[in-house]
Amino acid sequence: MTGKRPPPAGDGGQNAGMTVFSYLLSGMLVYGGLGWLIARWTGLSLIFPLGMLFGLALTIGWVIYRYGRP
Amino acid sequence: MTFTSPVLVAGGCHLGSGCGYPAPGYPQSFLFGTKALFVIGSFKVTLPILIALVCAALVIAFFWAAFSNPKLVPRGIQNAAELGMLFVRDQILRPMMGKRGDHYLPFLVSLFFFIWFMNLMEIIPVIQFPVTSFFMFPVSLMIIVYLTYNFVSIKNLGLGGYFKSMIPSGVPVFILGLLAPVEILQYIIVRPFTLAIRLFGNMFAGHILVSVFTIASWYLFSASIGLLFAGASFVMTIVLTGFEMLIQALQAYIFTILTAQYIGGAYETAH
Repeated sequence: MTGKRPPPAGDGGQNAGMTVFSYLLSGMLVYGGLGWLIARWTGLSLIFPLGMLFGLALTIGWVIYRYGRP
Repeated sequence: MTFTSPVLVAGGCHLGSGCGYPAPGYPQSFLFGTKALFVIGSFKVTLPILIALVCAALVIAFFWAAFSNPKLVPRGIQNAAELGMLFVRDQILRPMMGKRGDHYLPFLVSLFFFIWFMNLMEIIPVIQFPVTSFFMFPVSLMIIVYLTYNFVSIKNLGLGGYFKSMIPSGVPVFILGLLAPVEILQYIIVRPFTLAIRLFGNMFAGHILVSVFTIASWYLFSASIGLLFAGASFVMTIVLTGFEMLIQALQAYIFTILTAQYIGGAYETAH
């Protein structure tokens, strides 16, 4: 869902905060998982944290792109 | 310092029950609770299950009393129930779903009041037990919501449109390929999970906080400097109880408003 709805009043921004949090979590899960699989396959254990960092960076960028602009 | 035994004063021990401070623990499983109150067939009825059933009965009784014999000019309990329904309609349903979502009003009203009543049990004397601080209760509510908005989405958009609606538009194709798995995971797994964990976490933490200060104000109560701490803890208990009343209503509101947002979002086609 990509609709840019105004945040509902009265919840102190909890709604938007949790959306951002779930994005960061998803990004780390997807690319961390992918990195873990590749790390198992190639034996290079460094790829697992790199994948997590990549997912985190990607979703931070996405959150800034989606929520950071007026 | 003449009114109690010097041993107690020196040790800073409690007047009534001697020394020692048993740290507050959590002796039950945090899913449904493990201590069965009574057993029906092979089904163990635990305290939270019993309270949840009582809450459901209370919600039904409240609205039954309000609307079984409705008057054109509402009075008494009908007035209160109408106020609650109007609040859910104007503050939660309409901003999120618009007029077309009006047939979800009964669902949202019962959801809101059921969660609120279960949360309120935290500060009702004698019971003092928020049902939603057991994880499986928010999860079962979450499953109802999850099935509802996925069903609405598939029904409205078709299976292809259902997956298409998860994927953002208006971003470069390169980024889209990277973001699509994140969006799909967020939609299918992380979103319902955070919906349940937020209600559970808030109520669990609030319950622990209130019980820690309550226990502290009892066990720190001694004829020494501890009396000061006991007094402070007691004040904190009262302050936190008031604070918890706010949190309980707020969490019910947030759960319901997110439900409305998810169902409303299921109506929309991909942008």
